[in-house]
Amino acid sequence: MVQVTPAAAPVPQSRSRRRTIAVALAVAIAALAVGVATALWHRGGDDAVRDGTAVLNLVLPDAQGNEQALAQWRGKVLVVNFWATWCAPCREEMPQFVAMQTRDAAKGLQFVGIAVDDPAKVQAFAREVNLNYPTLIGGYGAIELSKTLGNDLAALPFTVVLDRRGRVVDTQLGPFKKAKLDAVLARLLLQGSQPPAAGS
Amino acid sequence: MLLIVATAHAEGLSSLSPKLLPPEQAFRLSARALDPQTIEARFAVANGYYLYRDKMQFRTEPVESKPVVLPPGKPKHDAFFGDVETYRGEVVVRVPLVHAAAGEKITLHADSQGCADVGVCYPPNPQQLTLTVPASGGKPGSFVEPGAKGWFK
Repeated sequence: MVQVTPAAAPVPQSRSRRRTIAVALAVAIAALAVGVATALWHRGGDDAVRDGTAVLNLVLPDAQGNEQALAQWRGKVLVVNFWATWCAPCREEMPQFVAMQTRDAAKGLQFVGIAVDDPAKVQAFAREVNLNYPTLIGGYGAIELSKTLGNDLAALPFTVVLDRRGRVVDTQLGPFKKAKLDAVLARLLLQGSQPPAAGS
Repeated sequence: MLLIVATAHAEGLSSLSPKLLPPEQAFRLSARALDPQTIEARFAVANGYYLYRDKMQFRTEPVESKPVVLPPGKPKHDAFFGDVETYRGEVVVRVPLVHAAAGEKITLHADSQGCADVGVCYPPNPQQLTLTVPASGGKPGSFVEPGAKGWFK
């Protein structure tokens, strides 16, 4: 009499097992969500900090057609600026980047441009403003990457600042105000002027 | 999870972003076939945005179009490109067709590129839409907007 009918018992049992699995799944998904969110977004000062691996993994041709890996600047404070010659606000802010590159190169600052543009035009403009940092030619993939970093509309200029540990500490859609960028760079350039040991 | 990531995502964005329109809303393309010889294309440019005249191009297929005369824009001096012209408000362009027959389907390709006054530019945006040629002497076709988005999506 413990079991009313042998066939009836498995039904509630399998229901409750299903419920257990559903609850476990929900907990696992929630844990995963928190984990992913935490991994992607550490809070650091006033800025949300994200992993910049996708940026450092970029390999793009320069205006001369030579492939350049962004990883070569790992350990520097890296300012990646998406721009184009057809974007007047982009061109207007670049002389300021040139001046900052000159001022802070010795402290470990590196600007890198990613031009969504034709290499000949990029070279012509680079000469005109005496560009003192590399600018690479980014196509569709670079635009897609900028979208994952918050540039949903694929608009320009878009600038990403990475600290020496390769974390994205700031993004800016539209011109970067000099005072704001100066403050961000001053803080980052002070942090660990030695690149972290490999594997840290 | 999506919500958490999306919320965190928004925190990293500049304050500019929420106010920016997607390009297809900032520069709304529509077109209609007026008669078997003419397509009328329009860009409705939102307030605070502008299109570059020299970046605007139209072509049609399979019926070809004759050279398009773009209306004059507002002169603007560009430090790198020299004197350029821009469009604000509404731009109406007539695209003359070669040998279109009533009932024929014509695809209009429209390339445009523009910026927002807040200091942001959008990449060149190729769009397309398909129109049906009306009968000669009949009513113009109705306005059609692009269904497929450009390379933004």
